[in-house]
Amino acid sequence: MVTLKIDGREITADSGKTVLEAARENNIYIPTLCVNEAVAAYGACRLCMVEVTRGNRKRLVASCLYEVAEGLVVDTQTERVVNIRRMVMELLLARCPNSSEVIDMARNLGVDKSRFQPENQDNSCVLCALCTRVCREVVGKSAISLVSRGTDRQVALPFCDDSDACIACGSCVYVCPTNAIKMEDRGDVRIITWPSSAHEFKMKKCASCGSHFAPEKQIAFMMAKSGLEAEKFELCMNCRP
Amino acid sequence: MIGQSVYVPRLLSEIESLAPGHRACIGCGEVLAIRQAFKAIGRDAVVVNATGCMEIIASQLPYTSWRLPWIHTLFENTAAVASGVEAGLKAMKRKGRYDHPDTKVVAIAGDGGTVDIGLQALSGALERGHNLLYICFDNEGYMNTGVQRSSATPYGATTTTSPAGKQSIGQLSWKKDLPAIAVDHRIPYVATACPSFPIDLVEKVKKGVATKGPAYIHVFSGCPTGWGCATNLTIKLGRLAVETGVFPLYEVENGKYKMSYKPETLRPITDYMKPQRRFRHLTEDVIKMIEKRVAEEYYKLLEKAECQK
Repeated sequence: MVTLKIDGREITADSGKTVLEAARENNIYIPTLCVNEAVAAYGACRLCMVEVTRGNRKRLVASCLYEVAEGLVVDTQTERVVNIRRMVMELLLARCPNSSEVIDMARNLGVDKSRFQPENQDNSCVLCALCTRVCREVVGKSAISLVSRGTDRQVALPFCDDSDACIACGSCVYVCPTNAIKMEDRGDVRIITWPSSAHEFKMKKCASCGSHFAPEKQIAFMMAKSGLEAEKFELCMNCRP
Repeated sequence: MIGQSVYVPRLLSEIESLAPGHRACIGCGEVLAIRQAFKAIGRDAVVVNATGCMEIIASQLPYTSWRLPWIHTLFENTAAVASGVEAGLKAMKRKGRYDHPDTKVVAIAGDGGTVDIGLQALSGALERGHNLLYICFDNEGYMNTGVQRSSATPYGATTTTSPAGKQSIGQLSWKKDLPAIAVDHRIPYVATACPSFPIDLVEKVKKGVATKGPAYIHVFSGCPTGWGCATNLTIKLGRLAVETGVFPLYEVENGKYKMSYKPETLRPITDYMKPQRRFRHLTEDVIKMIEKRVAEEYYKLLEKAECQK
């Protein structure tokens, strides 16, 4: 256990925790886009910047990566912090000018307009890599990844082509903070639209009631993982005994 | 949202606001719904809890299951107390005595405390525009006092105060459509949810607490004790209620209807009714009649959502 000060409040936290985790446990709000408890911290969005003071030295750090330490003094609302967050928000706003999530977040931080020129009006991906990290660390498939560098960087399946690795589970759709990945079940197909390309996945039909209940690839994955025979996956959840 | 089920639960928050060891019945859908809902609400919240199952099971003196600030209210004044809490927090913030900018006020109540006794207080709170979330956990009756009928009890269900027999087929009135009443208050967010669709429920609660102004969420939660079904069927019955059209999942944002889940075809209503003792006495004609009405209401709702697209 270590004792630190966040915004003037004395707080105890387990050593090894990050400043962001300690703040959240004590209901101190720090904005983030790229954080999920299920995956390791990554530090992509830079919205969680805070100012830490150790001795005479003050510096800005990303609170999702910075570990707590004895006697640390953290400020989440100084002028420097607010300025840097607004700057990050303006850049994100220029990247995703029409994403309602980004616009809402910017408004909460006091940013209405970006001084940078937006390039692509339809883009809503902030490249936080939550989707690819979840695919790798939680699902264990690594079906999608970040490809290219610099301004061409994007989330894609290998060569933007149909992939055997993807099981169409939709975890990337759920975890995306800006709804840049879309999913739709249309009868016998599930369509997932990543920022780079859209792909169709065949759905399994229930042998009893005829409704389509899960992607075939997902069922094959579950079958392999559980070691159960194929008959166990013939029926939908409602028709199973 | 509905189809994502395999790995998405692992991405939810690990916060548990309701500690285990409470006294809920086996197979209680309501307590499960609370657990899911409070994952979305987080640690910075005040809970206002009406009398009902959820108050009884979680707060037997000197113990409590709640890990959040919690107030017990009477049946009729939950929304009024929640309004007061919200106004109080606002005043304290203005005077500089409270420095959490984002404390949420959440009122929870059962169907009796919402559709019958607490309706006028709820209506007042929605009309005044307090920044609060009201969640109704609807198990279609006063289950904690021994299964009496409420106005959320569906047509034909037998309860101790609407018993089925030679002269009666059980509940004689149709379920009161409270989400529609809430929508007619022109509030920014209204939704229906069911713990059988946990991800959908969590997302709706997240939206509800993030809404500036009043939000109302109606959660359909199974009750094996009151419905007379096996305790392992709560989740399945919730799913069947949605897929037969008995309890459609939808949300209304600023008056705009959106279906959360559209089954390809409505399942026959007997799938839902057969496992429940409260519908056991119904004849085929009555079931047909109920099915017809359920389908009518469902398509009416679907039309509303379609025409507003």
